Amino acid sequence: MAHMPKFAGIRRLGARIQEAKGAPRWILYVGIGIVVFFVILAIFAPLIAPYGFDQVTSDGVRFPKQAPPSSEHLFGTTVQSTDVLSRTIWGARTAIEVVVLSVIFSIAIGVPLGLFSGYVGGKLDRGLVLIMDALFAFPYLLLAIVVAFLLTDKLNDFFLSNLFGAGIVTAAVAITVVYIPQYFRVVRNHVISVREEPYVEAARALGAKRRTVIGRYIFYNVIQNVPALATLNAADAILTLAALGFLGYGIQPTEAAEWGYDISRAIDDVGAGIWWTGVFPGMAIVLLVTGFTLVGEGLNDVLNPLIRYRRIRKPKIPAEKVPAEQEASS
Amino acid sequence: MSRKGSLRTYVLTRLVLAIPTVLILLTMVFLLMRVAPGNPIQVALGGHLSQQEIDRRSAEAGYDKPILTQYVEYLGDVFTGNLGTTLTDHRTVTSIIVENGSATLELTIAAMLVALVVGLTIGILAGRFRDTPIDLGGRLFGIVVYAAPVFFVGYLLQLLFGSTLGWLPTSGRVGPVTEYELDTTTHLYLIDSLISGNFNAFEDTVLHLILPAVTLGLLVSGVLIRLVRVNLMQTMRGDYVEAARARGVRERRVVLEHAFRNALIPVVTVAGLQFAILLGGAILTEQTFNWPGLGSELVRYLNERDYIAVQGIITVFALAVVLVSLMIDLINAFIDPRVRY
Amino acid sequence: MSHVRRLGIAAVLVAAIAAIAAGCGSSGGGGGTIIRGTTDQPVSYDPAGAYDLPSYDVIYNVYQNLMTIPPGENKPVPEAAEKCDFTNPTTYECTLKDGLKFSDGDSLDAKDVKFSFDRNVEIADPNGASSLLANMKSVDAPDDKTVVFHLKKPDATWPFVLTVASFAIVDDSDFPKDKLQPSDEVIGSGRYTVASYKPGQQTVLEKNESYTGDDPAENDQAIVQYYDKPSALKLDVENGEVDIAYRSLSPTDIDSLRDADGVSIVEGNGTEIRYLVFNLKLQEGGSDAQKQAVRQAVAQTVDRAAIAKNVYDDTVQPLYSMVPQGLQFATKAFAEKYGESPDVNAAKKTLSDAGVDTPVPLEIWWTPSHYGPSSGDEYAEIKNQLDDSGLFTVSLKSTEWTQYSEAAFTNKYPEYELGWFPDYPDANDYTAPFYAKDSFLNISYDNPEMNKLLEQEAATTDEAKRAELFKKIQDIGAEDVPTVPIWQGKQVAAVRDGVSGVEDTFDPSFIFRYWLITKD
Repeated sequence: MAHMPKFAGIRRLGARIQEAKGAPRWILYVGIGIVVFFVILAIFAPLIAPYGFDQVTSDGVRFPKQAPPSSEHLFGTTVQSTDVLSRTIWGARTAIEVVVLSVIFSIAIGVPLGLFSGYVGGKLDRGLVLIMDALFAFPYLLLAIVVAFLLTDKLNDFFLSNLFGAGIVTAAVAITVVYIPQYFRVVRNHVISVREEPYVEAARALGAKRRTVIGRYIFYNVIQNVPALATLNAADAILTLAALGFLGYGIQPTEAAEWGYDISRAIDDVGAGIWWTGVFPGMAIVLLVTGFTLVGEGLNDVLNPLIRYRRIRKPKIPAEKVPAEQEASS
Repeated sequence: MSRKGSLRTYVLTRLVLAIPTVLILLTMVFLLMRVAPGNPIQVALGGHLSQQEIDRRSAEAGYDKPILTQYVEYLGDVFTGNLGTTLTDHRTVTSIIVENGSATLELTIAAMLVALVVGLTIGILAGRFRDTPIDLGGRLFGIVVYAAPVFFVGYLLQLLFGSTLGWLPTSGRVGPVTEYELDTTTHLYLIDSLISGNFNAFEDTVLHLILPAVTLGLLVSGVLIRLVRVNLMQTMRGDYVEAARARGVRERRVVLEHAFRNALIPVVTVAGLQFAILLGGAILTEQTFNWPGLGSELVRYLNERDYIAVQGIITVFALAVVLVSLMIDLINAFIDPRVRY
Repeated sequence: MSHVRRLGIAAVLVAAIAAIAAGCGSSGGGGGTIIRGTTDQPVSYDPAGAYDLPSYDVIYNVYQNLMTIPPGENKPVPEAAEKCDFTNPTTYECTLKDGLKFSDGDSLDAKDVKFSFDRNVEIADPNGASSLLANMKSVDAPDDKTVVFHLKKPDATWPFVLTVASFAIVDDSDFPKDKLQPSDEVIGSGRYTVASYKPGQQTVLEKNESYTGDDPAENDQAIVQYYDKPSALKLDVENGEVDIAYRSLSPTDIDSLRDADGVSIVEGNGTEIRYLVFNLKLQEGGSDAQKQAVRQAVAQTVDRAAIAKNVYDDTVQPLYSMVPQGLQFATKAFAEKYGESPDVNAAKKTLSDAGVDTPVPLEIWWTPSHYGPSSGDEYAEIKNQLDDSGLFTVSLKSTEWTQYSEAAFTNKYPEYELGWFPDYPDANDYTAPFYAKDSFLNISYDNPEMNKLLEQEAATTDEAKRAELFKKIQDIGAEDVPTVPIWQGKQVAAVRDGVSGVEDTFDPSFIFRYWLITKD
């Protein structure tokens, strides 16, 4: 039986990135750079942020309220006397946590479902497709709001809540529910087109178990689609999280800093000429979402065969060595 | 099979398939609202009356009938078009859909127009001048405009055009006095004002529509730009385009007449799918601009736990998306014979 | 369509819009129209279906009550009635004025009054205030001009109950007796009629030309415009789209408007209060004495002035008794007992005398949406004050309103935030609901002396006696501290220049009297 190299799909991905020419690579790299920057902020928040996300005093001195950017508070302070810079950095942690959790959940549920459903077909497949289509038809923000609503305070004993905080898990689950249908769809459609391929048929004819066929042959082929989708979903997840925070659902203000909530409080400030409480969280959202989108776009550009440019490598023609006899004979 | 037959089959199949989707949606909506904690009386009078009194009033109002009974009643009501009366302010859900739905409709249509104009223009330019600063600039614009939270952009626009410059109004569909004087037959104020010859109201409506439509439209244009660009690039590689070039057709005509038209087809599909984004963005835009549409009513009723209202509104939203995607599928099937069953 | 043509159309559109924009201006009302913006949305304009301030706002302007609180005062006087009195401790009799009419021409008589009360009890709408009539055994209309209320127990607050908007007088020939009248079809005998009601958008009131009472409206029309977000309301009052912005602007908005052109801030005493509740069963403390020490220590440590200033920019004032200033019989019991400013040393002593170890852990709950986002700031401030004293360590918890309002009263929260809106401006409404044995707070507070005093004050109409009783009640409240009063809200409105009369309607009754407002 022909041996498929491990991680063939991912290797292929890497190869394509190397091959791409010009702009798509840069887009990808800039996007990755931005995302990495925020991930670092998120991981090292306790070290990077000057203060805690709800800290209002330092050395017994109360922070000023709604103070403009200064040397003590680089981004100024809010109406609650918290430091905007710190809240923006801690907000990065909240955002990354929610995004990572929701993307992992969505993929962990959506991909296997799509694989299985696409391969097995039949009634199960049709049933799942109906449900997923129905979920897909639900305006995403609505669904997220309703799920966040329902789960408020219900997840307090869930094991992940102790690690991350109930509100973060709630927001992550709300966003997960919205994106599962997308992964399901993409994976299922790809599986359907791939499962009729000769090599898959051959494997089946040779008696490979269903699990092997799906796992070894189809999975690696199909998995290529996922990274691009995952980054675009990550971008959407941040916006959905911010929308939830803005409307007041999901994460409670005492649990964690969240950019959308900060903007909702900042809206009053802007009318009074206090711009720093909203602009910085707003810019953070724009940057991070742009970062993820650039990664997604970059991947798309690189992978989509219809629009990608291959870097054309000039063939290396070794300098002609005319054999001595020939020269002698010409 | 004849071409007509397969189209008919497709249409019928699609329609039939839509029904279980609708049923599933309705069931989901019902379950979601029943599982939600609290009821409207708790929200309104908690903290002012004893819990016993609240429980007593809740029981009397029938909030604790068995779920199955409520479900069957709910389904029956929806199919007879009776979406109920709200619990918190005694409005019929139908009137909410008609009055506030028209507001959302006006907003989304206007926003879609903005999105199409901006999205198509920049998308075509970006696709045509691929990998040049125009392309990069256009793509970046599309990305950033989608990344910026619509509620913040909206408020900045309010501040700039409403407050600082004073050019445009910042809330509502019309000014308070005009609203009272306007005859609302269709509840689409642009049309109503024209019908009743109230040009003052027409002007007022247009002015009030500008900021929210631009805010929401820009958001959606971000997505359109990328789509149009990608599709344009794909079709521009196509053989028939090469053939046109080989025939010596000028590049501009190649783009606009050959590539563009075909690039438009998938865009129509995705434009339909953007409807879901449009509705989601509408919720936030309506909140910011005090636009009395279904989105802002939904948030309000959700906060008040008026599950009859929320149920009705979510049902309409979901049905609208199903309807739009159904229409898109049918249009696609009509245009593209490959799509049919 | 060709590129050029498309550009051309776009250009024309832009030019058109620019032209229209150049010719636009703000669209405030004419001289006879007052426009008020608010973020509160009403429930029903049928009195039997209303128990909320936004509905009351309109009801007070569209109907008449038997009794009312005149502007700037705090005691009931007859309105539709000529005179009212107790004929015996449980019987209250009113004689109606002559010539009262509803806006559609029907005459108003005692049968309408009886009908209004009876239907309140019969409909018992879940959103209504029929529970306030619990003490009413029956109501009679022996003749066209006389109404007699038979009470179960003597009740000095009955005249106040009659001022409540839920008990406004409706026409028995127009309103159904067993269900609510739609809000846009209501008819009353008050100074205005409901000309139009668009839920979520606006209510339009027009002057009722057949009004027969005192002080007819000084303007022709009042429009109440509804907003979802206070920020949009603030922009509109700045731009002149509305004349008055009242309820609810954030402290930041109000500060910013103080400096704005064309707008000024009008303030008046309000009767909305905010307080901290202790659940005596769940709170910290080994014995009853220790628990009381903890509560007293908190009352001694909380810095109300700092909260009023830092969190609310002085749009509220410190509250030293559950009964707010401006009401008859209000005292400053907490200030008398603990002083107006915090005294950490005294608190320390209180705790050590009772043998309580410090720092005392407290779990304080608050709710983000119902009381506005500032309540988060307020409780963050309270936490800081209590933590800084070294006597307490506070952990703050929050949950959204629906769960909160149920959990708080079913013994789930040891300490929690609460606000209160008066049903009517009598001290009884600020003491009995909290201090009585069967208080809705359900905090296991039961002081027999307090219960007796509450019964007594309700049973007598002798003002001197009530004053004495209420002083004792408030003193005991400050000693037992089941609740810690924190602040009393001012009524604050942003009013455009040229509009006057708003300050005249700001009084403990919370009646927003559109009829007093004029605009030049």
